[in-house]
Amino acid sequence: MTTIDTVTPTPGRTRRGANGAPDENGPGLRQALLQFASKQYLVAVLIVLCVAVGLAKPSFWGTGNLSNVLFQASFVGLAACGMTLLIAGGLLDLSVGGVIAVSSIAVATVLPHTTIGGAIVLALVIGAVLGLINGLLVTYVKIAPFIATLGTQYLFLGLAFIWTSGKVVPITSSHFRDATTGKLGWLPVPFLVFVVLAVLTFLLLQRTYFGRTVRAFGSNERAAVLAGMPVNRSKVIVFIVAGVCFALAGVFMAGRLSSAEGNMATGFEMNVIAAVVVGGTALRGGRGTMFGTVVGSVLFAVLANALNLLGVASYWQYVLTGAVLIAAIAVGARRSSAAEVRGAG
Amino acid sequence: MSDTIANPSATEALVADERARSAERARRADSRRRLMQNAGVLIPFLIVLIAGLAAVPNFASSSNVTNMLVNAAILAIVGYGMTLVIAVRGIDLSVGSAQALAACVAAAAVNSMGPVVGALVGIAVGAALGLANGLLVTQLRVPGFVATLSTMSVFRGLVLLFTGGAPIMIASVGFKSVATAKVLGIPVPFLVAAALGVAAWFVLDRMRFGKHVVAVGGSPEAAVDTGISVNRVLLLAYLVAGATAGIGGVLLASQLGVVNGSVAAGLELQAIAIVVLGGTSMAGGRPRIVGTFIAALLLTMINSGLNLLNVPSFYQYVALGALLVFALSIDGAQRAAVRRMLEGRHS
Repeated sequence: MTTIDTVTPTPGRTRRGANGAPDENGPGLRQALLQFASKQYLVAVLIVLCVAVGLAKPSFWGTGNLSNVLFQASFVGLAACGMTLLIAGGLLDLSVGGVIAVSSIAVATVLPHTTIGGAIVLALVIGAVLGLINGLLVTYVKIAPFIATLGTQYLFLGLAFIWTSGKVVPITSSHFRDATTGKLGWLPVPFLVFVVLAVLTFLLLQRTYFGRTVRAFGSNERAAVLAGMPVNRSKVIVFIVAGVCFALAGVFMAGRLSSAEGNMATGFEMNVIAAVVVGGTALRGGRGTMFGTVVGSVLFAVLANALNLLGVASYWQYVLTGAVLIAAIAVGARRSSAAEVRGAG
Repeated sequence: MSDTIANPSATEALVADERARSAERARRADSRRRLMQNAGVLIPFLIVLIAGLAAVPNFASSSNVTNMLVNAAILAIVGYGMTLVIAVRGIDLSVGSAQALAACVAAAAVNSMGPVVGALVGIAVGAALGLANGLLVTQLRVPGFVATLSTMSVFRGLVLLFTGGAPIMIASVGFKSVATAKVLGIPVPFLVAAALGVAAWFVLDRMRFGKHVVAVGGSPEAAVDTGISVNRVLLLAYLVAGATAGIGGVLLASQLGVVNGSVAAGLELQAIAIVVLGGTSMAGGRPRIVGTFIAALLLTMINSGLNLLNVPSFYQYVALGALLVFALSIDGAQRAAVRRMLEGRHS
């Protein structure tokens, strides 16, 4: 897993991967391994955490519990795929909770009348439309992303409450529940979808012209504009893709709760941003690591599961999520200011 | 080129002319900016006021007016702190959680140590939380909005742990009567808000600290070069935001009489909305306390009007979101207009 720019814009430039892929040189290999280890310290943290929890509570390693952890991780993870794209582009979306609420209410409302596929497509379309609204506000009305989406968060939540009159919309279709909460072997379906989406997002971000544009304006918007890249259009598309990812998370959340309501995902944006940032995607934009996002999502699910197993009050999860997020950003800020020349990666 | 060198007097005349024109442009841009700032909040204020008086029953009844003034006062006090933070290019998303924590700790302290100590403890808690935000931003270099997004979650967790999810009843009648007491027919919280507003205006407009705030918000790099301690200004701004959330929390506890861990959820959005609506630019460097005060009244009138009309409370979410987006578009348009004025017509 590297985050190297494989499409170098000018043929004359040599690749200078600060994150060290084992390129051509033999002696670089050991260094590359070291660099990989220092970069993926999060995996080590995750393993240590799992071992520690496993020692304290052996039931952690039960297949049922592990499958449950992956199940929990996939909701944050699905939304985090879109958020990684946004953050790599120097953008942000705080309206995650609103998008999830509206799209899953749509699923719950239409499900008695249509097929499961139709309902899911409708949810994704709604996610895309809400993302489009965010994108237009940020790009053409020129409102800073985090505050524009803070405003639309309340707009969307208001819409969700008005639509349901504040009630819970139940999902009666057992087929839908089976489809969204089922398992293949012991791997839950949402987790498989999450992995597929993560791979797709990785390819989108690292292997396409669009992804390169996103990273370019995330790193330096003015330079990207001057280079003639379609910055505004790409920004809107990133918001749309993110909206679709959030809606997908909403579909599975609705399946798990077998209902949908306005409050179902309030405060969810914190967990999503935390998973992305802890995974190593820097908030200042310019690069994103999908592998880190996957590890970050699983890490938070393990953490929550551990707290539950250890019988800690669930309120501590608020405190812990916030504290871990601050720590990750503070460490990232220190590392980047100490070691990194901007644009080297 | 050779012309200008040959005719020094002509050069001077040209320079003086250009200088005069640029000064004129700057003056016009400034007056345009002021106009848009004032219009941005005053026109909606008047529309809502007239609509409320005309269409909403009991809008001007004395109990409703008292209620609105108390709500607006609490909102405005938090808004002052937010104005300061936004003026230094920061943002504080944790004010709602900080206010809840301050209100709950104050309520517990009032029950155990008396009203005055309880109120002081509440304000001190708010200030301490603000200090924590400030230290995160200045010492750990965490961007303001994500630092306070995290502390929003942390503080909310702390307040739920503190209360254990149960409501806290305030026993002291004296403490509870503060929010409803009146001096000369005006509720005490409103007088507090007005006094704090005058103080904030004085500090920002007439004292050195205010100039530093404008300098840091306008251009942090330039402020560093002038020898201003940017970190100190930022730290103080976040500290004040926390303290105002604390004062608001104490008044809220006094008004409600019963507080729980989920009070003041979503307050950050209301506070940001009134600040931006009041004409404080998100780009920093332009605090506007009077605008914040008027916008607090405006938002309270909207909420109260919707309540009196029996509109489901969900529509208040939509109204708030729409108001914020409207205020932000005005802010953006205003900046674009000023830039056009300053750069001249042809660019």
